[in-house]
Amino acid sequence: MTRRDLIHKWTVYALGLLPVWVLDAYILSRYPLWGTSPMLLPLAVAAVAVLEGAYAGTGFGLAVGLLWELAYPGGFGGLVFYLALAGMAMGAVSQYALSQSFAGCLICSAGVLGLLDLLRVARGLLVDLASLSDLLQVAVPEFLWSLAWTPPVWLLFRTIYRRVGGTKLA
Amino acid sequence: MKDFLRQNGILLLAIALLLSILIGALSFVMGGQADPLSDLMGVLTTPIRRGVSAAADWAEGAYGYVFRYGEMEQELKDLRAQVGELEERVRQGEEAIRENEQLRELLGFQARRRGLTTEPAKVTGRSTSNWESTLTLSKGTSAGVDAGDCVITETGVLVGVVAEAGTNWSTVSTVIDTDTQMGGIVNRTYSAGVLEGDFALMNKGRLKLNYLPEAAQLVSGDEVLTSGRGDMFPSGLMVGRVEGVFTDPSGQTRYAVVQPAVALDSLIEVFVIKDFEIVE
Repeated sequence: MTRRDLIHKWTVYALGLLPVWVLDAYILSRYPLWGTSPMLLPLAVAAVAVLEGAYAGTGFGLAVGLLWELAYPGGFGGLVFYLALAGMAMGAVSQYALSQSFAGCLICSAGVLGLLDLLRVARGLLVDLASLSDLLQVAVPEFLWSLAWTPPVWLLFRTIYRRVGGTKLA
Repeated sequence: MKDFLRQNGILLLAIALLLSILIGALSFVMGGQADPLSDLMGVLTTPIRRGVSAAADWAEGAYGYVFRYGEMEQELKDLRAQVGELEERVRQGEEAIRENEQLRELLGFQARRRGLTTEPAKVTGRSTSNWESTLTLSKGTSAGVDAGDCVITETGVLVGVVAEAGTNWSTVSTVIDTDTQMGGIVNRTYSAGVLEGDFALMNKGRLKLNYLPEAAQLVSGDEVLTSGRGDMFPSGLMVGRVEGVFTDPSGQTRYAVVQPAVALDSLIEVFVIKDFEIVE
């Protein structure tokens, strides 16, 4: 794969991320379902990591983490490393333990979302933000509603993968 | 995984870690001012944010016109009746103000003044996280907006406080956000307390008026205003109404649950108070 092909491939992936980001940041946040907005960006990382493997998953996770930290309010930096690490882990797990399928993506998405919410609940308990039950009342619907968005996100990135993914441009 | 190690994957992870530390350090150092990276991103994404917001506002307006016409007509009738009642109250109020001015003059008190310097701004984004309640505005430091400025509606109802200001955007922590903390006072009884966001109440769209005096006799529907204690925020801004009074689980203090007067979901335009001068 030439350098030009590589740039072409990742430009298409970035363009694929654009509607996911707009939907996540500006549309779904306006219309929460029972007061809950989904998190779509970790799903995009999961889909790309499952399809492209650990190395590409790390890079894509890093880029999405940067987007999340810089374009959303209240960033503290941790998401860049978390999503890069998650991208690597999901890519490796899909290569060795799972398959490059929707089921694999769903399991990886559940993992990345679950751990993220778990960290938020732990942080909430640590800073005495609220009781465990109050924190879980936010975390559980958020996890489930976000996970429900896995199919469209997976379909979008699988379509991109089928056209430009892997070494297809080589 | 071999590919990952062969392709310098560890280097990518190290870059991610460094970027995390850099962003964290910058946001810590900059305080309420947006760090240069976030500011740049905010400026670059402004056209998208404004475009999507304008399209969504237009679509909501069209939906309301088509599907809620009857409801809006009824609302208009109710508002006309309310305007009539309020005009009568304004006439009575003007009379009382004149009398008050005369009495202050007789006693040699300084004339009561209330000057707010405001900047109008559009709401271009809403909370993207379920763990906080924020709004993104279309004005920033280039328009004189700074962290700590109060944000109100056109009728003077408190919306929140600017938490972070970029060049042409700013983020507002709304009154129900857990970061909110300011002096509050119950208009009827003059009972003072501390207005605080509470995580459990935030998801119900409510906030707390904490540390109420033991003798405070509040009833449901009492108006809660900002007290202006500490001169950080203007006094007399409408926050909401008391919904109920409870005792803290420790049994030490009493608090009131306040329903904000602002409809956070349907805000389109707000005003940032850049400066204020109030003489009571």
